[in-house]
Amino acid sequence: MRNLSLEAKIGSVLCAFYFIWGISFAIWLNFFGQAPAPDMTMELISPFKQGFLLGTDIYGRSLFAMLSAGVMHSLGFAFATALSSASIGVVAGGIMALAGTRISSFIEGIANAIYIFPTVLIAIMIMSLWEGGTFTLWVTLVAVGWPGYARIARGEFLRVRNMPYVESARAIGQSPVKLFYKTMLPAIMPVIIVQLVLGLSGVIMSESTLGFLGLGTSEYSWGELLSMAKDVILEAPFIVVTTSLTMAGIILGLNLLGDGLRDALDPRSTGDKT
Amino acid sequence: MIKSLLKGLVTAWFVATAAFFCLRLSPGDPVERILGAQARPEQIELYRTSLGLDLPIMTQYRVFLTNLVQLDWGKSLFKDKTVLELIREAMVPTATLAVIAVSLAFVLASLLGVYAAKNRGNLIDHLLRFLTLSALSFPIFSLAPILIILFAIELGWLPVSELISPLHYILPCLSLIIPLTSVLSRVIRNQYLESTGEPWINVLRAKGLGDGAITFRIYKVCLPTILNVVSMQLSVVLAGAMITETIFDIPGLGKLLLGAIENRDYPLVQGLIIYTSLIYLLLYVITDIVNAKIDPRLESAK
Repeated sequence: MRNLSLEAKIGSVLCAFYFIWGISFAIWLNFFGQAPAPDMTMELISPFKQGFLLGTDIYGRSLFAMLSAGVMHSLGFAFATALSSASIGVVAGGIMALAGTRISSFIEGIANAIYIFPTVLIAIMIMSLWEGGTFTLWVTLVAVGWPGYARIARGEFLRVRNMPYVESARAIGQSPVKLFYKTMLPAIMPVIIVQLVLGLSGVIMSESTLGFLGLGTSEYSWGELLSMAKDVILEAPFIVVTTSLTMAGIILGLNLLGDGLRDALDPRSTGDKT
Repeated sequence: MIKSLLKGLVTAWFVATAAFFCLRLSPGDPVERILGAQARPEQIELYRTSLGLDLPIMTQYRVFLTNLVQLDWGKSLFKDKTVLELIREAMVPTATLAVIAVSLAFVLASLLGVYAAKNRGNLIDHLLRFLTLSALSFPIFSLAPILIILFAIELGWLPVSELISPLHYILPCLSLIIPLTSVLSRVIRNQYLESTGEPWINVLRAKGLGDGAITFRIYKVCLPTILNVVSMQLSVVLAGAMITETIFDIPGLGKLLLGAIENRDYPLVQGLIIYTSLIYLLLYVITDIVNAKIDPRLESAK
């Protein structure tokens, strides 16, 4: 897109970089290599020493391999979670905007109650009580994540609902289901996609927060890596630095891209185009 | 006002119910998990009866809600204190941290945001945008260790753990203030810019009001939106304060919660979650009411 701001371009380059990183690590892992394994004789080696590009963590695993696995894990998990939340949210938003008052106010009540409530706290509660792994976390984050999308989708459906082309489609007798996904959904997609991009960074943050608190999730979670790293901050500050930078890069990329896309979609927005 | 109170109450009930059912319906038997695998069946039975877990689930739910309202939140399974006592003790450091962080961030963000908006498009505006965006890319649990490395280890200026002197508050507060200021200053800047184009400002200018007075009035118009964002951010601050505590070894709510999770101290976990949610909801309702007071349009719209 020509009218994307510089920020959005930087964001998309960053995102692309992480995608290629994650996917190539996944391919390498599948066909050639093996997952980083603990090796206590190699613990806490500094970067560029003994053939380790970024050094090793407290279990003697190559930090570069751990971070790569983290990219793969975080992106995969973020996509799975954000896409599911968005799908549920769009359908719920559609029902809220288009269905009869009784059903819509019921769903709206649930959505609002979840929306007001702090996401991370619900996630901490469920994860600590259920002691689940990645799958439980996915269910939890989807359960608390969909109302955000539903609210936006609802507003968008209300905006589109009475547009002339939708009325015409209704007039020629299109079925409600078809009206929903063929006629109206494409019109609201851009807004949902922006939300999805920003949602991805939100999921990455939440996932690593829970990882940091030691609540399940994968051993490749950046949060878990950081919680180990903070205990050896005096001996090996480089682990904190490299892990933080890796994590910050993808979050920054997604936020820049999301903000940039939003500015490009909404000409009234006050975000500056540089 | 009544409506927002009602909304808060409904959500509070929702949270309590969610906490209750999450615990009761969690996979595995909580009693067996608490007592460990070596426990004899009679022991397990006895413990279950003492906790009231042998009753039908709806009866348990009723008892749970009644106790909740009567402020009988049960006892910690490991420490010889009630849940509420433990929470009251741990509340002080967390609240101190959160209040200092929120108020400082609010002032700082107002100054930065208004300044950036008034100098829209120049170098400082861009620099601030860049800095705030970068700061937001570091979650609090990576920001705090980086601050430790920078100020405590490399430069050696500030102490790290516990809260002995005011100096010890600086790093924990800073790791809360930086992200909050970043979010708020961006919101304030954009909100301020959105209001500057409105016709009533020209009227003020025509009346001969000074620049400072006009800035103040625009800021006042933005205030409800800003307060809304602050209240949305409060959950982030609460969670952030809890994470900060674990990093800086501060005996607050966060450390209590993590310890409780590690020990599987279910009454304590449940109590802490409900307590933090209630605080959060209370603040949410207060924001709603304050907003209506500041901006009469909101009240009449309802």
